Amino acid sequence: MKYALSEASRCVYCGFCEPACPTLYPGGHRGHGPRGRLQLIATLAQNGASRLVEEALYTCLLCGACTLLCPAKIDVAGAVREARAYLRSRMA
Amino acid sequence: MGSAERLKDFLGPEKVITDPAIVDLYAREPSGLASKAMAVVFPESSRDVSRIAAYAYKNNIKIYPQGSTSALSGSAVPSEEGIVLSFERMNRVLGVSVVDSTVDVEPGVRLGDLNIELARHGYMFPIDPGSVNVATVGGSINSGAGGLRGARYGTMRDWVLGLNIVLPDEKGTELRIGCRTTKCRQGYDLVRLMVGSEGTLAIVTEATLKITPLPEAMVTALTFFTELEDLYEAYKEIKESRVLPLVLEFMDYETALLAKEASGAPVEVEGHMLLVGVDCNREAVKRVEAWLSELMRRHNAKRVFTAIGQEEAERLFTLRRSLFPAQVFFGNKRYPGKRLIVLLEDIAVPPSRLLEAINRIREVSNRYGLQVSMGGHVGDGNLHPSVAFPVDDEQVKRKVMEWHREVAKIALELGGTVSAEHGIGTLKRGLLEMEMEALGSKRALELMRGIKRVFDPKGILNPGKVI
Repeated sequence: MKYALSEASRCVYCGFCEPACPTLYPGGHRGHGPRGRLQLIATLAQNGASRLVEEALYTCLLCGACTLLCPAKIDVAGAVREARAYLRSRMA
Repeated sequence: MGSAERLKDFLGPEKVITDPAIVDLYAREPSGLASKAMAVVFPESSRDVSRIAAYAYKNNIKIYPQGSTSALSGSAVPSEEGIVLSFERMNRVLGVSVVDSTVDVEPGVRLGDLNIELARHGYMFPIDPGSVNVATVGGSINSGAGGLRGARYGTMRDWVLGLNIVLPDEKGTELRIGCRTTKCRQGYDLVRLMVGSEGTLAIVTEATLKITPLPEAMVTALTFFTELEDLYEAYKEIKESRVLPLVLEFMDYETALLAKEASGAPVEVEGHMLLVGVDCNREAVKRVEAWLSELMRRHNAKRVFTAIGQEEAERLFTLRRSLFPAQVFFGNKRYPGKRLIVLLEDIAVPPSRLLEAINRIREVSNRYGLQVSMGGHVGDGNLHPSVAFPVDDEQVKRKVMEWHREVAKIALELGGTVSAEHGIGTLKRGLLEMEMEALGSKRALELMRGIKRVFDPKGILNPGKVI
């Protein structure tokens, strides 16, 4: 998860990404938006994943719209992809 | 049954989250401050809020009302164990009346979304903080937000006509305060007391806001000056010309360069930036454009770019809108892989003291050896010097906090204030005391504490903030 954690560590939580995210409102909480997912990736590495954390990482459409609005140009989709691979490896 | 379980029981389980990983998402803000909470609760109506407030009152549970957490002063972060009251699901525009020039909204509506709705009617809500697309109406009311158009349109306190609020008492009392009209004398002005109270007095569940027509036309000039003194003379002449620009924005040379690098804005940066936007009728566009260009050149502007109309103007605005992103970008470059805090100052000085303020802040920043971004809404004297630093570097943090106090002192010495539009939160409580002491008015803090006790006798509403 090196890449995902490195991307997550660059997030200052400004939320500029959120208006672009198509899953934020339908998801029902902030974990279904880009800044939430980045924070959850950091949590995942430390504490493992709860059901809500897994759901939040798997509802991402990987569309990358958030990166266009992100001041730090964080690759949220790339980070989420790697986090999913990490989750799969833990299930195996 | 625990408090969170009880809340789930009477609100419905879908409105309460207790998973610590998700709750943590509501216990942090971009200032870098982070904390813990017991649960996040998502009310869907004023009635829900009332029931939550009454339950919290009876059980001494702290409540932390929250919009989108784009605050920069610590006002949105829990300071003790309690519940976060997130308004993410109360996000409806309830009604627009062009004849009354009002809009009724729930607190979770983002300002950007509100303006999309209002644009259908040819109207806008003019308060536009840098985080306009993220910030919510409720958060903006509670922080007393301003923005790029502050010189012309003021801040939230000038645009809130009426509020539905819930009190933190045994019944969770629901009240309507204020009017639907601009003129309104309803005894003491409780609406304006709520604006800027940072969620410490009552919980806003609905707002009636004033709206204003979109400008018919606008002329924008993006200019660069080698000397700050020349820029200030141009600024002064605009202010003295009986023209009240919609936008008057500043960035120093170094910050403008960073913003250009961060945003890829399609303009050449050739000095300190002054961005001016003047609204006018269509027939006056050419005359205003010529006036602005001539004025800037007469004051030795090195480059003058002008635009007519919104689309063209957006190109010129890119640079200014990149002030915060520039600091993030630069911080990431300077401290690769580190978690950053971006401390954004929010002082205001009388516009006649702006040049002195800018020069003194630049001097203090150099003395502390800090890479400080310097920009602001100079039309109303509001400056946002900012620094990014790694969250775990105690040495740099100490230095930044000393710088933070020095900048506040400069503002006070020049007859200004320590917080123009971001609020006090936890980060500026010490500075607020400093300001009231400088005014010889420490008693005013006692009055504020008295007001807090009247509204919130148990101290359960956003405790630890403001005072």
